[in-house]
Amino acid sequence: MPARRHLLLSALAAPALIAPARAQAPLTIYTAGPQNLIDSLVSGFRAAGGPAANVFQATTGRVMARLEAERANPIADVVISASWSSARDLKAQNLLLPYLPAAAAAVPPALKDGHYVAQAVSGLGIVWNSRSGTPRPAEWDDLARPEFRNLVTLPDPAQSGSNFDLIAGLLAARGDAAWELFAALRRNGAIVAGANQQALNPVLQGAKAAVFGAVDYIALEARARGESVEVIFPASGTVIAPRPAMILASSRNQEAARRFLDYMLSDDGQRRIARLFLMPSRADIPAERPTIAELRVLGFDETAAEARRADILARFRQVMGV
Amino acid sequence: MRGGAAVSLGAVAALLLLIGLPVGAILLQAAFPGLPRGDLSAPFSGVAAALSEPRILALIGNTLALGAAVSAGCLLLAAPLGLVRGLCRVPGAAAWDVLFLIPFMIPPYIAALAWIMTLQPRGYLAQLAGFDLGGFLFSFPGIVFVMVLNLYPLTYFAVARTVEAAGGRLAEVARVFGASPARALWRITLPLAMPGIVASLLLVFAMAIEEFGTPATLAARTGFHVLVTGIYTRFSDWPIDLPGAAVLSVVLMLLAGGAYALQLLILARRSFVSVGGRPAEASKAPLGRWALPVLAAFGTVTALGVGVPVAAVLATALTRTISGGLAWENLSLVHFAALFANRAGALTALANSLLLAAGAAALTGLVGALVAYVLNRTELPGRRLLDLLSLLPNAIPGIVVAVGLILAWNQAFWPVAVYNTPWMLLIAYCALLLPYPVRYATAALQQIGRSLDDAARVSGAGVAALVGRILLPLLLPSLGVAMLLVFAIATRELVASIMVAPAGFPTVSTFVFAQFEQGSAGVGMAMSVIAIFASTAILVALAAAARRV
Repeated sequence: MPARRHLLLSALAAPALIAPARAQAPLTIYTAGPQNLIDSLVSGFRAAGGPAANVFQATTGRVMARLEAERANPIADVVISASWSSARDLKAQNLLLPYLPAAAAAVPPALKDGHYVAQAVSGLGIVWNSRSGTPRPAEWDDLARPEFRNLVTLPDPAQSGSNFDLIAGLLAARGDAAWELFAALRRNGAIVAGANQQALNPVLQGAKAAVFGAVDYIALEARARGESVEVIFPASGTVIAPRPAMILASSRNQEAARRFLDYMLSDDGQRRIARLFLMPSRADIPAERPTIAELRVLGFDETAAEARRADILARFRQVMGV
Repeated sequence: MRGGAAVSLGAVAALLLLIGLPVGAILLQAAFPGLPRGDLSAPFSGVAAALSEPRILALIGNTLALGAAVSAGCLLLAAPLGLVRGLCRVPGAAAWDVLFLIPFMIPPYIAALAWIMTLQPRGYLAQLAGFDLGGFLFSFPGIVFVMVLNLYPLTYFAVARTVEAAGGRLAEVARVFGASPARALWRITLPLAMPGIVASLLLVFAMAIEEFGTPATLAARTGFHVLVTGIYTRFSDWPIDLPGAAVLSVVLMLLAGGAYALQLLILARRSFVSVGGRPAEASKAPLGRWALPVLAAFGTVTALGVGVPVAAVLATALTRTISGGLAWENLSLVHFAALFANRAGALTALANSLLLAAGAAALTGLVGALVAYVLNRTELPGRRLLDLLSLLPNAIPGIVVAVGLILAWNQAFWPVAVYNTPWMLLIAYCALLLPYPVRYATAALQQIGRSLDDAARVSGAGVAALVGRILLPLLLPSLGVAMLLVFAIATRELVASIMVAPAGFPTVSTFVFAQFEQGSAGVGMAMSVIAIFASTAILVALAAAARRV
């Protein structure tokens, strides 16, 4: 951002605001997902000689909303989303710069495109509080049983990109019977509660016993901090959520944006991602958690699911009564 | 008087920029749905479409129900206390007044989160007492309960002040003529105080329907949505709906503005009230054997409004894990350590908020003094309009100001970029908080005799010297109080902050909100502890200063 824009405020403010004027122009990154993930990547990027970054961190829904609101006056350079289809959507609108870092050679073909590449992959599972006094669930359908009456939360698929994918995956695997499962969950008193962390918070205190379809790494990290939660991947299958990273074609800082994507896929960047319990997208970097190979992944036609997005969300709202 | 004209022009320009521009942008967007594409066809088509949608009618209905219920709740809870405070000698009255201001300093969204952590199943109440009130909290009465505990101070202070003013002499006259105390209260004091009480309830109504934090936190769990959350969703969930957000903003602005205008009207008609200086504390009735029940009532309200939320915030901030609950071995300072290690930009957020709040206090103080000068000391035509414009933010919800600012500044044609810079936050805070300095400065200037102006001019002083050497020094004490108030409110403002904060510029409130959305509740609450204690310290300083004046 030009230093000129900050000039007046800087005059009011501490010299700290003036200092970046001499350095390289900062990179603006819009990212879904937790703050500590992007903080770790940005500090690594800076240590590797990259410029400072201005980060907008929110849910996939809010990142996409902000991009849309700024359509006439785009601000972001790099966008990282938690939903693969959102990247496809931006590409279809010709808003993305074609770029693939060299290190993407080690990324499986399903996790890259000429315009975007996964930084990491998360899985969706049941997150269960082991001190909740409920039996350990093994399957999605267990959460509709009487033992879990009024004890289950679901992330809102309108906000959480990966939860939308889980619904699409269950619809592909079970057909309309998937709606039966959601209806049974609602009859059992399950509630829809915001994005991922908002669905997890009541489970941490024990107000609820389990999250249906939580992004796994957030819970794995909470567990590492000492919270009594477990992540359970149902044997009947779940979905994975690759986190696409991309550069906006409107970026006025494309060189730095390319360097950020390079860094994100570098050994150092990928290890930082692995440390936060995500699966690194590069196959040659070891994960510190169960990987895709150990999960049964439900396949579904993502293009068709995206085309039906509004319908699926409307049906979900109707079935869950929200 | 060339200097005077320049001052007037500056005041008008500042008000148009701060308030006229965002409101104008919203009205334009509501009228022309295709505006972002430069398309001016089909004007007002969005209004009819939006207002015929049943979901939106439900939003309007919910908003009105919430405002009415919160006003009624404040009346039931705070009016009796205010009555007692205004008419009787309450032991420790000054201390209760300060305690009753603290709920105002606890940001509503933090209070709501604290109540969730306390009342939900296996929450702090259940851990201590073995039962929970989750069913109550996550319901319409629960939302009303939390909001009443945030807003009751408004009613309490209004009632106490009006019955104090109305009750004193006229009620004594009634007593002299043989009325019983109850009859004097019922026939004299209450009718005289009624306009003030009703006006305060309308203010509560306006603030309740503008509030974002509590509905956003609690309503998501109850499926109870209001206009404010509806506007937020239309603006920040993909796909977005700008015309819909603008139409809902206009509806909300009309509701809040109507309540505020009605309030002004009622207060303006209240010319029959006898205000002749503050009645002496000694003329108030002693409480006698009622002292204990009254103190118990004051204590209970303080415990609910201040004690429970602050205790829950402290408990969450000071426990290592949430699942570990209230246990001695779970006690830890890790969250404060994370905060002071600048994890997730915590210190940056704190510094940003302090800087912005200081900037907002300085700017609103300046504009407030200018506007007050123009209103009081010039014959500028149309200065009544200026008066109205400067009070308009009272009637405009924070979310509407934010939407308007984004619509106005998020355009490629501005020669200087304002959108996505910290200036957006500064403008938003100034636009929202300007009425405080304007009102305080106007009141103070009215009390400074014009003879001082004349004396200065006779001695050869120009406008600059008059303002700089005479008026400003005399104005400064009350302007300073208003600026501190602006500072305290700006450090915790939530809804405009989350909507207009540029990338990479966290504030205290966006930090706390983000920690609950995608981070650690413990760190969020540690930040809340700092915010609450800092603003309470300012409050106590204000109260002390007010006593000295």
